[in-house]
Amino acid sequence: MVRLITHNLLACHAKGCTSNNFPLQFQNVQIELKEAEFNPTFLETFMPKLEWKALVDSAKEASATISRYILGNTSLPLEQPEMLDEEFLKNLHHVLLEIHVEEGIMICPNCKHNYPISNGIPNMLLAEHEIG
Amino acid sequence: MAPRSVTSVSISEDPQVYEDTHVHAVYEEIAPHFSSTRYKPWPVIAAFLSSLPAGWIGLDSGTGNGKYLPLPSENPSRVWTIGLDRSLNLLKIARNAGGAAREVVWANVLDHPWREGIFDYAISIATIHHLATHERRKQAVQRLLQAVSPTHGRILIYVWAVEQDDLSKREIPVEQSTELSLGKDVFVPWVLSSSDKTQADNQVFNRYYHMFAKGELTQLVSEAAEEMGLRVGPKSEYSVSCSGIEFKQNGWERSNYYVELHCWAQ
Ligand SMILES: [Zn+2]
Repeated sequence: MVRLITHNLLACHAKGCTSNNFPLQFQNVQIELKEAEFNPTFLETFMPKLEWKALVDSAKEASATISRYILGNTSLPLEQPEMLDEEFLKNLHHVLLEIHVEEGIMICPNCKHNYPISNGIPNMLLAEHEIG
Repeated sequence: MAPRSVTSVSISEDPQVYEDTHVHAVYEEIAPHFSSTRYKPWPVIAAFLSSLPAGWIGLDSGTGNGKYLPLPSENPSRVWTIGLDRSLNLLKIARNAGGAAREVVWANVLDHPWREGIFDYAISIATIHHLATHERRKQAVQRLLQAVSPTHGRILIYVWAVEQDDLSKREIPVEQSTELSLGKDVFVPWVLSSSDKTQADNQVFNRYYHMFAKGELTQLVSEAAEEMGLRVGPKSEYSVSCSGIEFKQNGWERSNYYVELHCWAQ
């Protein structure tokens, strides 16, 4: 699956593409929602690693593809908050761990390399001449 | 199943082409059968995953059927492991390992499709021994070092050993086991029984392995780290503004050598 947690860790690794190679931009995505167990301790520990803007942007991209009614609440504050209340953590949990991108493409913002997602599995393989 | 001998091989082709033929293509063919025999986590690996601080995220590089993704079994959502493998057919099994949705990525262990140092831990279990040259095995270790945090990252690596235990189903020819200081390149047969159960129709797939010699894994890891400018050894008060790795465990379990590394910086 490509949940937004995984998307937030991925970067383009094509030959010579070493800056502005993250976050990959979603295109033509199909999304499934699956409930996941809520674990606030995990979220609080993981949060400092998040690229916040990338997460907010990809949540917006994802929610643009299907109706908000189905997707639930994906509204995250533009800045990562300092006070973590339950409501915020639940939203974060939903965005990070319950939105599954099943089909689509991820495009490098720098070199425009396309990484396809099929059946929830992102193809990060490169052709031999593209390997750095 | 009767014990099957491994046979010595030498690699004359391009190592990548060689791995495509004798590793990747084989796993694509045997994936479901292979997976059905790989369900029990090894104790040292389970203990490593249980020892991690809550909230950590990790990479399982060469995840296969994803059997380590649901761990630790006593508290599954404590840490979050993402699986990477070269075999799409194994990933199709791994993405539901343990009966829940898992995060998996299709890539080569020599690739680095990640933000630098973003993981807290990485495991590489029974994977690096499928790479056909010393250089490529070293590169695979370097990818693990790049993947984890330089200040607190932890890495666990398992590879197949020339030293086999008695319970192992494989027989190593005696005359072949004399010069083992550099390890040994071998084919290990995988027998895929045909559906009508007649022996003649069994298909045999030869998988390439590099069997590690005693001390070869620690040597490989040290070389990989030093090439990246890392010190090898514990952090001391004299190590100022530098970073390094320390071997926390270094052992042999069930025909495999393993090491646990901790990264440090100051
Ligand atoms: Zn790129």
